[in-house]
Amino acid sequence: MIDAVLILRYAAPIAFAAVGETAGQRAGMINIGLEGTMLTSAFVATKVSLATGSPWVGIIVGAVAGLILALLTGVFTIRMQQDQVVVGTAVNLLCFGLCGMLFERWNGATGQLLSLPPLPKFAGGLDVVLLLLVVSAVAISFALFRTEWGLRARTAGEYPASLEAAGYSVIRTQFQALLISGLMAGLGGAYYAIGVAGSFAPDMISGRGFMAIAIVTFARWKPIWGLLSACLVGYFESLQYQLQMTHQDIPKSLLIALPYAATLLILVFSGRSSNAPAALGQPYKGMR
Amino acid sequence: MKSFLLSLSIGALALFGCSGGESNTAANSSVASPEAATTSFKVALLTPGPVNDSGWSALAYEGLEAIKTDLGAETSNQVAQGNDIKESMRSYAQKGYNLVFGHGFEYNEPGVQVAKDFPDTIFVSSSGSATAKNAGAIRFYLEQSFYLAGVLAANVSKSGTVGMVGGPDVPSIRSTFKAFRAGAEAAKPGVKVLEVFTGKNDDVAAARQVADTMIKSGADVLIHQANAAAQGVFTACKDGKAWALGANLNQNDNESGVVIGSATISAKAAFLEVAKLVKEKKFDGTVVQLGMEKGAIDFVFNDKLKSQLPEAAIKAVESAKADILSGKIVAPKDKF
Repeated sequence: MIDAVLILRYAAPIAFAAVGETAGQRAGMINIGLEGTMLTSAFVATKVSLATGSPWVGIIVGAVAGLILALLTGVFTIRMQQDQVVVGTAVNLLCFGLCGMLFERWNGATGQLLSLPPLPKFAGGLDVVLLLLVVSAVAISFALFRTEWGLRARTAGEYPASLEAAGYSVIRTQFQALLISGLMAGLGGAYYAIGVAGSFAPDMISGRGFMAIAIVTFARWKPIWGLLSACLVGYFESLQYQLQMTHQDIPKSLLIALPYAATLLILVFSGRSSNAPAALGQPYKGMR
Repeated sequence: MKSFLLSLSIGALALFGCSGGESNTAANSSVASPEAATTSFKVALLTPGPVNDSGWSALAYEGLEAIKTDLGAETSNQVAQGNDIKESMRSYAQKGYNLVFGHGFEYNEPGVQVAKDFPDTIFVSSSGSATAKNAGAIRFYLEQSFYLAGVLAANVSKSGTVGMVGGPDVPSIRSTFKAFRAGAEAAKPGVKVLEVFTGKNDDVAAARQVADTMIKSGADVLIHQANAAAQGVFTACKDGKAWALGANLNQNDNESGVVIGSATISAKAAFLEVAKLVKEKKFDGTVVQLGMEKGAIDFVFNDKLKSQLPEAAIKAVESAKADILSGKIVAPKDKF
């Protein structure tokens, strides 16, 4: 039995982050800090939605938290031209530590099971944020490939010197793309807490941020493919749970690995990509 | 080059910010005099996950806190997994800790090995069967209450299908699930028991998705071994109008209002007991089995929902409980 809406909902956190990261990477920015960003946004969304009683305020403030972390990342990677992987790792460590510490401070050292106000759903199980996910994947795809801004962003990721030579600011363009990446990861994290899990646990993102980064490559740096790939992984995930129930004799660990194995396999057979932005991850130091 | 150095220093800052304090204290206390070690009683706890998981690790932390307040011990706790386990054990032993708890079967073997090098420190793991002169284990017989939970689930279920949602696929969880299955099948032969592991510790969404899937497949009573992800199971049960069973801690008062009973461990008494033995130098490297008869394990009904359950179900659990206490029923448990 395949329930498309359920698959979309459980895949949404990774999909949000992957679609946003596609925009960032097209402009040359690898945001390794997605995992920590998603966790922080989930945490902020949890705290705010519990305090205000409104899931909407929680999601919005959670998304803003993602924006702020992207801004912080940008100051180091774009302004100060630091290594993106190192800065992203530092952001992750900062987020894990901070969220864990504050969670304990507010819920006691032994933790607490939290239950968050749910989002209202339309008939069929869709909600506004899921629609927003689909719309934003299309919009980001359009912006990247059909607008002048998109041309600038992609130039910043391919050969930033030519963008500067044409009279545009590489710094501004990369900042814009990175902020999109942070905002989307923030939405993904906040939606994970409020729309998907309905709760918060300090380690609950469980690698979804890193999965999102892998999916960007897997989807050949195309936002809509990113959304679809996230859903494909989500489909394997739900298939794997079904198989665990119907085939009790297969070792569970094998089935748990299925989504990852399937993804790897497709990656192997779909060949090498030539879509990777040429200047991906390289700090731009200006024209010499 | 300059930027490379800068980025290196940022990375270094991030890394050492977390561990710097630890190594300092290690250096200081390794030279502590033997007198200092005898005057203060020091107890450490290693857990497989953060102690804020509202479950397995949390209950060990409660035990450690009890040792601190009741015995006036100096305590410390740390998350240690895989290769870090021995390292953390050695580091605590070097700091002069008298007792190091490892909360899980995975600390048993490393404890016995490290114990050889540190005869003045006692290593005790929760579960496990290997022992040495100064290493042993507490074996919580949680299978007993999971058996009872299975009896209740099978009796309460109208669909004849019940489910178990696990986090990581580890021996201790598998063993409790076997007992749950045994209890359910003993109570209602032919009952269908679904079993799914998410493979992850804290993944609330995965737990909820699994519970959702089980309810859609007809399960109407679910138990979990998902620690901090348990809320996902409870919320799914609330949405899908199914009953839930709590595990490890008493989770009957969960906001979802669907938890009809909990299979609980009271680690506090056990940890305190072991710590007392160690403090009085009476610990002799054994496996202490703690089950229902010692009050360490229990199955607790949710009094608020008891009236909604069939009377026969409650009676079945109570008679099974009496049979376990009298030894007539032996809940199955794996050796690990």
